[in-house]
Amino acid sequence: MRRAGPRRLFRFPLRGQVEQDVDAELRFHLEMRAEDLIDEGMTPAAAREEALRRFGDFGKITESCREIDRRKEKEMWWIERWTELRQDLVYAFRQMAKAPVFTLIAVLTLALGIGATTAIFSVLDAVVLRPLPYPEPDRLMRIWESNPQTDQFSVSDPNYLDWRATNRSFQDMAAIRFTTPSLTGDGEPVRLTAAAVTASLFPVLGAKPALGRTFLPEEDRPGGATQVAVLSHPLWQSRFGADPGIVGRTLRLEGQSTTVIGVMPAGFAFPDWAELWIPLAPNAAADRTDKWLDVIGRLKPGVTVEQASADLDAVARRLAERYPDANRDWGAHIVPFPESIVGPQVTQTVLVLFSAVGLLLLMACVNVSNLLLARATVRGREMGLRSALGAGRARLIRQLLTESVLLAGCGAVAGLGVAHAAVRLLRAFGPDDVPRLDEVSLDGRVLAFTLLTALVTGLLFGLAPALQASRTDLYALLQQGGRAAMAAGRRLRDALVVGELAMAMMLLIGAGLMIGSFLRLQQADTGFDMDGVLTVQLELPEEEYPSERRHLFFSEVQERIAGLPGVRAAGATNTALFGSFHPTINFSVEGRESQGQEDFLAADWRSVTPGFFQALGIPLRRGRLLTEADRKGTPDVVVITQTMADRLWPGEDPIGRRIHFGGGQDGDNALTIVGVVGDVRDLDIAEEARNVLFLPYQQVPWPQMTLLIKTTGPQAGLAAAIRREIRAVDGDLPIPEVQPLRQSLSNAVAAPRFRMFLFGIFAAVALVLATIGVYGVMMFAVAQRTREIGVRLALGARPWGVVRLVLRRGLFLTLLGIALGWTGAFALTRFLASLLYGTAPTDAATFAAVALLLAGVATVAGYLPARRAAAIDPRLAFSAE
Amino acid sequence: MKIDLLQGTLDVLILKALSWGPLHGYAVVRWIERTTEDVLRIEEGALYPALHRMERRGWIEAEWGMSEKNRKAKFYRLTDEGRRALNAESDTWQRYALAVGKVLHAAQGA
Repeated sequence: MRRAGPRRLFRFPLRGQVEQDVDAELRFHLEMRAEDLIDEGMTPAAAREEALRRFGDFGKITESCREIDRRKEKEMWWIERWTELRQDLVYAFRQMAKAPVFTLIAVLTLALGIGATTAIFSVLDAVVLRPLPYPEPDRLMRIWESNPQTDQFSVSDPNYLDWRATNRSFQDMAAIRFTTPSLTGDGEPVRLTAAAVTASLFPVLGAKPALGRTFLPEEDRPGGATQVAVLSHPLWQSRFGADPGIVGRTLRLEGQSTTVIGVMPAGFAFPDWAELWIPLAPNAAADRTDKWLDVIGRLKPGVTVEQASADLDAVARRLAERYPDANRDWGAHIVPFPESIVGPQVTQTVLVLFSAVGLLLLMACVNVSNLLLARATVRGREMGLRSALGAGRARLIRQLLTESVLLAGCGAVAGLGVAHAAVRLLRAFGPDDVPRLDEVSLDGRVLAFTLLTALVTGLLFGLAPALQASRTDLYALLQQGGRAAMAAGRRLRDALVVGELAMAMMLLIGAGLMIGSFLRLQQADTGFDMDGVLTVQLELPEEEYPSERRHLFFSEVQERIAGLPGVRAAGATNTALFGSFHPTINFSVEGRESQGQEDFLAADWRSVTPGFFQALGIPLRRGRLLTEADRKGTPDVVVITQTMADRLWPGEDPIGRRIHFGGGQDGDNALTIVGVVGDVRDLDIAEEARNVLFLPYQQVPWPQMTLLIKTTGPQAGLAAAIRREIRAVDGDLPIPEVQPLRQSLSNAVAAPRFRMFLFGIFAAVALVLATIGVYGVMMFAVAQRTREIGVRLALGARPWGVVRLVLRRGLFLTLLGIALGWTGAFALTRFLASLLYGTAPTDAATFAAVALLLAGVATVAGYLPARRAAAIDPRLAFSAE
Repeated sequence: MKIDLLQGTLDVLILKALSWGPLHGYAVVRWIERTTEDVLRIEEGALYPALHRMERRGWIEAEWGMSEKNRKAKFYRLTDEGRRALNAESDTWQRYALAVGKVLHAAQGA
């Protein structure tokens, strides 16, 4: 505090208005009091002191006054804003009502854009963004075995047990195996899709049962009390009528009486196909090369993925040293949970779709922006008037932005309807293999996104027109009807349309690539003939069909079916065609020493009956096919594919060579090659041809088989006949539907088809938006140039010449847009590469075709305004304005 | 003897002071001193948060003006709302004072 004479007894530093006011007020009080005291005879110093004493705690009082004033200021500020906003809103509503056609078109365009974006965002959110429904999902990992060819291979029982016992990074691990036990007893026998899991699965996921309990460690041991089961919520509801007393009841699973010990809560689905859980009881004495488990683990708190990887690498190295035959070349690989559940392709697809729909929304913005710009010229006088009445430019801009945000808000409300319908379609028709697709819904997060989108959209498409319209030069307006401003507006509109065409171009190219890729995928060479082939999947219960009895069943079934009229051949293989079961085995070539990791060999294998090759029409290239004579006791034989023969014995005859499966070459694991057949893509048609080993069914009897029946002529009634023949052999076997093989293929390409479909819709909408954009801009340009065109016509210009004049301008914009779109597509389509099959992301034919299409459509869109220009009555030129 | 001000009394005193016309803070203090003949002891500073609070509440309005000694001072004026508040408050006060008085004058056992 500075002291400077009686009139400046109290002085305070200057600050904000509130602070200054409070200081001045309080200082005035103190000065007045001090002066009164001086008048009463005190010395100035004593008076000052007495004034302060009487005043009380000066600092505290100053602060509380300031605080009150600041709060008041803030309230006033909000009240002012709110009043203005209310005025703006009322005004905006009136403006919208004044131009109902404009409003309708704008709102519909925005509804389409915002609705589509919202729908795709809801998918992005549910499938990719939202955390998994487990506590601390960051610590959950998927763990695979890895070899030099792949880093995602299933795990064998002993390796899982050794990992779990000797690692130091995981709180615990759990293993899962797919199984399909039959459920008999009450009602129709059915096969359930079940998971055999270790007792640790539920604790690792952090899941608790809704009823009863989950497995105990002693129920998860070979020879333990393993006849127990935990039900999923859906199964409990559908099959057992949500019986609250279900715990303790016994079921007949796979012919064995099994006690229900628990029911999981609704929403718990891990793995997502599991209807029921039974104990896995991993066996330490099992074959170490028999890899069939899926393994997950929960990291200890604070352990990073890198640390865990290093730890498991060390564990795997020790196992490879201890069990060189089985574990040489095998490591362990960790993938964080979200990535492992939602594969990179799904993530990629969703992100690409989201970008595409974002482009669409931008295009919708451009169109509305263009509409607003056109209206801005119409509203020039109104703006001039408002500005003349004292509205500042900022106030005008705010008013115009309020209008556009309100427009966007209406668009968003209508868009939610669009999104609601779209989400239902997505859920109904989306491919099955997109995880969590059924969780997609318009929830709070999605609504918040829509709200934000509407706000940003409104500002985005409103800003340029607002800046344009608010640039009111009153003088110019009165002088020449604001023609200068109109010219600037036209340039802006032209630029917007060029940008819009470029975006449409990119979307069309994307869609073109997807369609091309899908068509190629559909015509991909599978290496076999699918026409007229029916399939049915059968699974033999292991107890009633020990391995030596299985082939008898299939032999008889095949014989009976082959005898049906209209059936040419019947065979069976142990994989579902285009399914997800992907049996693979590593092997070595007899007499060739493995030089290291690059010599690691792996092949798919199939256990097939001799009829398999006939049923699918797979051609024999060398040697012989498998026969009924290849059975237990005869030499183990194998038929390989052409690709495998070419890779391993280039230029040589592989017939008679021997390979050894698993590790080592000493035991009874040798197979003699007896034949070479054409390449087959029976699982993933988009992949390169793989090494495949066809093993005789009698030597490798497998309980689950897919029957393949080649038919000729009409198939009506055949499915029933086939079921009848199977039932004649075993009446207790659950028989699923008989399906054409084409249907399985169709299911297999559901994802790319869906992608193509969505992209196609986006591109079609983009095309419509671009057409409207070009049409609108040309129409407006013609309207503005009425006088000029009229003069030209009056001076003898030919109507055709006028048409050409207008068209040339439209074509110029179109070509600019196409060139820009090409550049953009060139830069961006490589993000589609992983989603395309047999199609380059820069496929020249697609680029060219799309350019032609867009140019054609834009020309038509420009032609109508051109025709109108040519029809202008020259007299109008002199009466206009 | 001076009496400490009861909680909530200050507001009604200020409103009453302002009911005669716009005053600045110091004048309000002087008015209260004069009127109560120095019986009520106000901590002068406490007046100001009360004034600002009532201003925020809309009971009084403030305006900068010139004081009797020709200096810039902040004058407060009662609003219609403030006048209603004053009526309500003084009603309450009178009934309160009456009630307390009755209790204190009541004959024992009556």
